[in-house]
Amino acid sequence: MGNFSLNLLFDPLSLFFLFVIFIVSLPSAIYSFGYLKGEYSVGKIKLSWFLLAIFVLSMSLVVTAGNALIFLLAWEIMSLVSYFLVVFDTKHEKSVQAGTIYIVMTHIGTAFLIAAFLILYKHAHSFDFTAIKNACQVMPSSIKHLVFLFLLIGFGTKAGIVPMHIWLPYAHPQAPSHISSIMSGVMIKTAVYGIIRFVIFLLGVNSLWWGGLVLVLAVITCLVGIVYALMESDIKKMLAYSSVENMGVILLGIGAAMFFLSLNLQYLAVFSLVAGLYHLVNHAIFKGLLFLSGGSVYKATGTRDMEKLGGLIKVMPQTAFCFLLGAIAISALPPLNGFVSEWLTLQALFWGAFYVPVSAKLFLTVCAGMLALTSALAAACFVKAFGITFLALPRSQSAKNAKEAPVSMRIGMFFLSLMIICFGLGASFVIKLLTRVAGTATGINVSNMKFSLNNFTIMPQAGQGVYLSVPLLACALVVFLFIGWIFYIKFLRNKSRTYTTWDCGYYKLDARNEYTATAFSKPFRIAFSFFLLPYRKTEKIRESFYHVKSFVYETHTTMVFKKYIYKPLLGSVFKTAKIMRNIQAGSIHLYLGYIFVTVFLLILFMNKF
Amino acid sequence: MQAIILFGVLVSTYLMIIAKRLPALISSFRIQSFFLFLATLSIAVNERQLDLYIISGLLFLIKVCIIPHFLYRIIKKIKVSEDVGMLLNVQISLLFAFFLTYLSWALSGKIISIGNQAQVVVLAVSFFAILTGVFLMIFRITALSQIIGLLVMENGLFLLAATVSGGMPFFVEIAIFFDVFVSVVIMGFFIYRINKLFTHIDVNKLSRLKG
Repeated sequence: MGNFSLNLLFDPLSLFFLFVIFIVSLPSAIYSFGYLKGEYSVGKIKLSWFLLAIFVLSMSLVVTAGNALIFLLAWEIMSLVSYFLVVFDTKHEKSVQAGTIYIVMTHIGTAFLIAAFLILYKHAHSFDFTAIKNACQVMPSSIKHLVFLFLLIGFGTKAGIVPMHIWLPYAHPQAPSHISSIMSGVMIKTAVYGIIRFVIFLLGVNSLWWGGLVLVLAVITCLVGIVYALMESDIKKMLAYSSVENMGVILLGIGAAMFFLSLNLQYLAVFSLVAGLYHLVNHAIFKGLLFLSGGSVYKATGTRDMEKLGGLIKVMPQTAFCFLLGAIAISALPPLNGFVSEWLTLQALFWGAFYVPVSAKLFLTVCAGMLALTSALAAACFVKAFGITFLALPRSQSAKNAKEAPVSMRIGMFFLSLMIICFGLGASFVIKLLTRVAGTATGINVSNMKFSLNNFTIMPQAGQGVYLSVPLLACALVVFLFIGWIFYIKFLRNKSRTYTTWDCGYYKLDARNEYTATAFSKPFRIAFSFFLLPYRKTEKIRESFYHVKSFVYETHTTMVFKKYIYKPLLGSVFKTAKIMRNIQAGSIHLYLGYIFVTVFLLILFMNKF
Repeated sequence: MQAIILFGVLVSTYLMIIAKRLPALISSFRIQSFFLFLATLSIAVNERQLDLYIISGLLFLIKVCIIPHFLYRIIKKIKVSEDVGMLLNVQISLLFAFFLTYLSWALSGKIISIGNQAQVVVLAVSFFAILTGVFLMIFRITALSQIIGLLVMENGLFLLAATVSGGMPFFVEIAIFFDVFVSVVIMGFFIYRINKLFTHIDVNKLSRLKG
């Protein structure tokens, strides 16, 4: 094994990820006090605390390991513990199924990681990061390409990059909500840590196509994630798909950084990495918050199906407020934190398009365009999520009888809400810190790099670009709201009156007449029908031609990746297994015979050479 | 002297291949073990080492006396037929054994340089014993012949270690004896259980356990 030692790494990059882990895990842990109570037995609650502690510790070890072997061990512990947490609801058969998909996918990823690490070990003769870093400088570039691809597949599986994302929308919603929030908020981020640590920090980007590949995958991930999220009416599944989308946004920043590094555009590289890291911490916070508030809804109503919810803002106003805040942040609306990081990413791509050679200009512009499209779709998605879940009339009895979440759950949610606002308003300070993190990751001296404070443009352009500041935007918002309120008081209040919705003389409007989640997403289903391949099933039972007794109408979308990639793959695996089964007769003599024949052939082989 | 001992091992191994009844198999095993004991003893006399004397004594005690006696007792106790259950008949088995002899000869010739003929012979006999052990395990049906196959393999390994490399370290040797003894006891117990459960010790029929 060479010189093996348990050395931990506490450079700015590791510390940043530790911060991300704890800023989400802490409120989630507090939240779980209220969430677990009444839902599970006492013994199971104890088990959940035990697993949660190991889960958080293993993630911390992943981001602080200074040795590839320790990293791998911690990575594996993290995967296994999260599997146990996914199948925590053993009552539901779906949990077990989701867990199986998850553990298979995650181990495929780990297999690629092991392969990559072994190649690195062969060249460095040590698993230590410093030794690997030194070895990577003299490694032949063909091997580097191979290692990069393996690492990308390995970490990409955990990060949920399309098309390796299929486990994510099954596993994340199935775990208890505080775990979903940690998994979506933090665990998949450790994969980004892996990419930064191993590809950018250790391996060193040396080809343009690395960054290009990551950018292409990121764009696809963004779009696929958000389009699926739009179609979803299960609130937690929708959030999981949205996590896929946000991983894409983060990887746009990371990929752009790799792209610029190989072109030796240092300012831009650091800036893009800052954008990616900023979105990473932001997504951790608001996705954590959204999962927690989604979990509150689930606990209060017993269902995750939006079509059965509605009107919750009246019975759970505080949860609704938190969800709304998270939704605004994730839709990248100013002045909250999501806006800052997506804006930074857009800026990075646009400025990149200015500086790169002609051939790459169009590519980066298209990436920026796709990011803009994604943000718009995300906004639509969360308008739907908030509107259908919290507004209008309750669509079921359980939604009507819902109660506000207990104090401990609200504490967790409010803490994260506060963080959303802090990270939005304190953007300039955060960027300063992240610049140092990005400096360590890329090995570029950042001491004289300044991304000017309230001006979101890069140093050489300072003062020329658009002038934009989050606190200023917040002030503007407050002022406009104030003006609007004054206007309302002055002119409109006396003229308005409360009355039921005009129903064209039907007189019997109830919850069944409301706009549904499926209906809301219909325009998008049509717009993206080339990819979603929607189909419908109708079933009429009629007594006579004029009298239809019952009419069933279902609409579905085709799961493209499942149908065209995973199903054929799985089929061929089973086919091979069936063929292999023929040699398994179950007879001891036969097995002994196999061993003997093997030894015999080996002896013959040895005689030959 | 060594030539006689090696010849004895070879012949007793052939005897095992053509044995049709379990007692015959066990007594051939006893003969093989006895020649092994002689081999160890001759080395001990040559080298004048206390360790080797103790080892050869243990060998005599365990492999020549206790294990065959134990196996005889099992046969008597479970009262099954004494047939070893041949998957290949004697003639074909014998042909196979010739082939194995040739194979081990060729192999040991490859391993040891040509000058040292005596070593080549020792190596060939040891390999042959190991291969025969595997052969017995594969082509004999009863579970008892599987045990004996394992013991024959172990004997071959012992011969290899004792003659080619001058024996393994003392404690390793002791530990191996202990292992062999315990494994025979455990397997004997298993056979007893299998017989009780299935009223035979035909390993072939265990495939019914397959899911």
